[in-house]
Amino acid sequence: MPETEHDTTGTTRAGGPGRLLVAVYALFAVAATGRSTVQILTRFEEAPLAYSLSALAAVVYVVATVALARAGRVSRGVALASCTVELVGVIAVGLFTLLVPEAFPDDTVWSLFGRGYGFVPLVLPVLGLLWLRRSHPRSAASTGEPAGRG
Amino acid sequence: MVDLWTTVVQLASLALAVWCGISAFRGQPMLVPHLVGIAVLEVLLLVQLVLSIVLLVRGPQPPDTVTFVSYLVTLVLVPPACAVWGFMERSKWGPAVIAFACLVLPVLMVRLEQIWNAPVA
Repeated sequence: MPETEHDTTGTTRAGGPGRLLVAVYALFAVAATGRSTVQILTRFEEAPLAYSLSALAAVVYVVATVALARAGRVSRGVALASCTVELVGVIAVGLFTLLVPEAFPDDTVWSLFGRGYGFVPLVLPVLGLLWLRRSHPRSAASTGEPAGRG
Repeated sequence: MVDLWTTVVQLASLALAVWCGISAFRGQPMLVPHLVGIAVLEVLLLVQLVLSIVLLVRGPQPPDTVTFVSYLVTLVLVPPACAVWGFMERSKWGPAVIAFACLVLPVLMVRLEQIWNAPVA
């Protein structure tokens, strides 16, 4: 299968299956940005906490999309960070909406672990982190350091 | 909303999703026939857009018009985004992305219907 014939430098993280991941991220970036923009512009006072979180989620998705799509060490770090923030965010907001529902009169992307979006917000950061790990350039041996864990 | 047309668009989108899914499994990149399929879907969505605008102007409007319009605009942008993606990724993952988008599109149409039919607060 010559599907990765251009993959010579280990910097084409966004190629192949990663492209599908970036597409899903792009969709969520668009969805979350659109949703939070409408919410904040039209009825911010109804649920300021929920809508602020929606905006935060939107920013994280946009950053993650761009970072995943780009090659390079810095982008990888940014992608790792934003996927981690997402995972923490979706779990924290999920728990919070489950335990203190009255704090969230309206839903966010991350409410109830992203139930309104088929739990994709919960799965997505996990896939992102797995993909980042799998696509780690194995040429790291040239710098003399083994692939770090944890 | 014109329910019949919504169904037509959804079925067309699902058909394209199946087709592109099969192409992805066969290891094909996006080819000209796929592009034609994407173009057909875009035309269907543009008709949907025009129909919706006519209905909006005539009234009654849905309670959340802003969200409704933003969904409409997003829907129309999906097929061009698919085409761009297919050109960028010249492997089987191009059709895979298109298949994914064409699976999401009917869900967006369901949301569009829900927003249109939402009870007035």
